[in-house]
Amino acid sequence: MSSHASTVDPKKAELWDTHHHSHDVISTRTLGYFLYLLSDGMLFATLFAAYGVLSYQHSYFGGPTPAEFVKPWYTFAQTIALFLSVLAYGFGMNALKHKNKSGLINGMLAAFVLGVVFLVLDIHDMSHLYSMGITLASSGGMSAFMVLTQVHATHIFFGLIWILVMIAQVMTKGFTEETVGRLLTLRMFWHLQAVIWVFVYIFVYLWGYIS
Amino acid sequence: MSHSAADPTMHPEVQLSTSKGYFLGFAISAFLMLVATFLVTSHSVPPFGLLMVISVCAGIAVIAQIYFLLHIDISEHNIWNTVALVMFIPLFLITIGLTWWMFSQLYLRTMDMSVMSSAMQPAVHASATPGMADMPGMNAHTDSGN
Repeated sequence: MSSHASTVDPKKAELWDTHHHSHDVISTRTLGYFLYLLSDGMLFATLFAAYGVLSYQHSYFGGPTPAEFVKPWYTFAQTIALFLSVLAYGFGMNALKHKNKSGLINGMLAAFVLGVVFLVLDIHDMSHLYSMGITLASSGGMSAFMVLTQVHATHIFFGLIWILVMIAQVMTKGFTEETVGRLLTLRMFWHLQAVIWVFVYIFVYLWGYIS
Repeated sequence: MSHSAADPTMHPEVQLSTSKGYFLGFAISAFLMLVATFLVTSHSVPPFGLLMVISVCAGIAVIAQIYFLLHIDISEHNIWNTVALVMFIPLFLITIGLTWWMFSQLYLRTMDMSVMSSAMQPAVHASATPGMADMPGMNAHTDSGN
């Protein structure tokens, strides 16, 4: 401090920062939303932990285990539908980079359709289990299995609603600071669902199938 | 982190999108899931080795997605996302790992597994889950317990 003080000319010293600094609203919001998504990740941590402790042989109470009803290639089709949906949203965001509104909306529509495919396959799978008499109440193991997979499916459901809302907002409001910020947070949300699905698919479906 | 607010599409988080990156994230993770599914269905690897292999598939796929899709890197713009994620990973692993460890020890010390597996056969809830009795292994040990 003292060395600075000796070189400052008191007549010309600027005591106040008079320049206007624009606040980066988009980055502030996306970081905040990313922190929210990490806490959402902790929700999945608790559900994975519950599945981990409720997937022993005795957890199924003599009833069906995932080894008996998981169909790996069926769930692999779900995986590809979700990954393609994420890819389509990514291509849409690449169109946003070039201010290409129709490209963005096409990408989001493709992401929506593929997300619906994922959800329909999941609902079909669950109704098939129900028709076999396998429900949430069958055993502790089945409760953990169904809650974990269906909490992920619920995220997909709300993500699909969000995609529709954002298509409408882009069409009516265009590329404003608000809509672009929301498109970025939706990108994080949607892409994180693919990351979580990798864990669900490998450690719940495939591991359940082989154990 | 400051930039002109005039055109939101020029924001760095928009501009860092690349089709190539998104495609790589998709291709790598889809290929690894294909490998894992193929290995699991072919039954060519013993269970413990299989678990190791599919865990590695999951790990690489997640890293590829986090890098290519979530843009987690050490660039000036994304460093705080990266720091938050790095802080998050231990919490995630500790939550799952400690819970699993505690319950596995509990089961080990409080339950006689041979009694558990033979005492809980489906006689009680066979009526609640019709069709289960037809499945392989469902009628084993019906002479004990209940």
